[in-house]
Amino acid sequence: MKQNWQKILFVIVITALGYFLGRFDSVLYQQPVGQVTAVKTLSSESTTDEHGNQDESVDQQLRVKLLNRKDKEKVIKNSYLSSQAETIRYQKGDQILLTKSDDGYQIDMAKRDNVLFALLGLLFAGLYLAMSRRKFSFLALSIVVNAGLFLATILWDATSRSLPVLPVFVVLALLLSALALYFVLGWGLQAWITWLATCLATLLAVLAMAAVIAVTGAKGIHFETMSYVTQIPQPVFYAQALIGVLGAVMDESGDIVAGLFGLKRESSERTFADYWQAGRSIGREILGTLTNVLFMIFIAETVPMVILMLRNGNNWSYILDQTMNLGILQTVVSALGIVWAVPVTAFITATLLTKKGAINS
Amino acid sequence: MNAILLLIILLLLSLLFVGGKQGLMTFFGLFLNCIPIFILITLVNWGFTPLVVLPIMAILILSVAIYLSAGRPRVLQITWQSSVIVLVLILILAFLAQHFGHLQGYTLENSDELEGLSLSVGIDFSNLAIIVMVMSALGAIAEAAMAVTADLFEVVERTPNISAANLQAQGKVIGEQILGTAINTLFFGMLGANIPLLVWFFRLHYSFSEFMNGKLLIFEVVTMLLGMIGILCSITIAIFLVEHAFHREGRGILNESDL
Repeated sequence: MKQNWQKILFVIVITALGYFLGRFDSVLYQQPVGQVTAVKTLSSESTTDEHGNQDESVDQQLRVKLLNRKDKEKVIKNSYLSSQAETIRYQKGDQILLTKSDDGYQIDMAKRDNVLFALLGLLFAGLYLAMSRRKFSFLALSIVVNAGLFLATILWDATSRSLPVLPVFVVLALLLSALALYFVLGWGLQAWITWLATCLATLLAVLAMAAVIAVTGAKGIHFETMSYVTQIPQPVFYAQALIGVLGAVMDESGDIVAGLFGLKRESSERTFADYWQAGRSIGREILGTLTNVLFMIFIAETVPMVILMLRNGNNWSYILDQTMNLGILQTVVSALGIVWAVPVTAFITATLLTKKGAINS
Repeated sequence: MNAILLLIILLLLSLLFVGGKQGLMTFFGLFLNCIPIFILITLVNWGFTPLVVLPIMAILILSVAIYLSAGRPRVLQITWQSSVIVLVLILILAFLAQHFGHLQGYTLENSDELEGLSLSVGIDFSNLAIIVMVMSALGAIAEAAMAVTADLFEVVERTPNISAANLQAQGKVIGEQILGTAINTLFFGMLGANIPLLVWFFRLHYSFSEFMNGKLLIFEVVTMLLGMIGILCSITIAIFLVEHAFHREGRGILNESDL
């Protein structure tokens, strides 16, 4: 019990360290950073929009202490709507990134790195305690290396105008999954089987989507509703689907293979049918929840936009078309990958585990 | 024919083939889960307090997701218990993250989507941000707890003479591996979803401080981190509950008659 309290204390301390790192790193910023020391509401006024929504428009005066400039204190005006859809109500203690112009300082954006660092601290402290030191370092390394590789590819895509988007992201997907599995599982049969099954199932799912799109002429798919488009949407959507489904399929295959290797460790005298059945049983138990993971992520993200559009007097069918179309498509493709991963993984693993003399480790 | 409809039919057939009747339940579960989400959206739209509606609907969503998946009743029970405990934790963390980070709503990058929409709609978007963060984590929480519990039960079943210490060792091995892969699920999901936004950031030469503080990106990253923290807690608590049950009942946990 005492040990558990120590662990919880450790997590809290690391989280707090992350938070304070974000609170005191303003010296590293080139742009001016300020901290709100006092807030005064100047005026507030009820508003009604053309759809009859009641809201409140407020002007507030912020007294801001500059943290990385010679000027000590400044008074900055901020106006916001109570709904805060695009504006922010600042409170005492908030830190803000500022921009300086001829007529004084303006608010650029809220400083959010303290939240980022605190949550990173919380996650990594927790992982550190939950895993063996070796596994922890490998997982952390995996995330860092994969994020770096991914960002480098995005940077490449963003700077070059004629990049063949899809082939590049296919290669990236193969690389990312191989690296992730190598770091989590180490070099060995387990990692190889999982990688093979992952790539196969992902490939099948994305090919199925491509085939269906080709057959139906992309009828009912609104590629034009994609957000933040800076290039032709269709290849980008394929890339998104590919990378997005990869993790889930890897998870599914990883769980099945891990479960079957667990059986192998407990007792090595098992037949193909044992493994095949156990694999399908593990797969079946998590297939529903895993599909739900991606479904919930996609649907949660649409909630604010759906509510905003409802309040703007749009009807449900238009809203579904505008906000959920691509999300549903991606969820269905991911679900296909997850479902097909079960027989693919169970078959490959069962075959290899029962092949004579294949595994001794 | 509508491309999405065709893919949905393909999915239904695959689920039937791979999962049989249980596969059908999964499909049914996805549709069923749209109901609490629909109710949540409608109630919030009508002006109900989001922070009251959210926990209730979240528990409903978890229950549907867990109890409609195939598995032993006891596995589902332990999964549900750990998921609800973790839900409470994530609710608190999401509230704190929103309070300190002002993560709600839109920015100039959304101008295209927001064209013609009134933003003074009288619903506090900071609560909507909390809804997004918590709901995104729900699936991952349930999945991680389910995976670790199902695997541990599988080990207990296939190994007649397993001891408590042996189970604990297996729990650590399985928990570690599931942690690794489950975290990658969210990680890749987040990376994939944000390709267009990141390309945008790079193309318009956003500064490093915008990468670290910009609302849209940080919101996505925070949502992902909360999901990962959810997975971690979920696995830890599920292992604890399985060991606890095994400690009390031994291999009796495999009996399904007591439910």
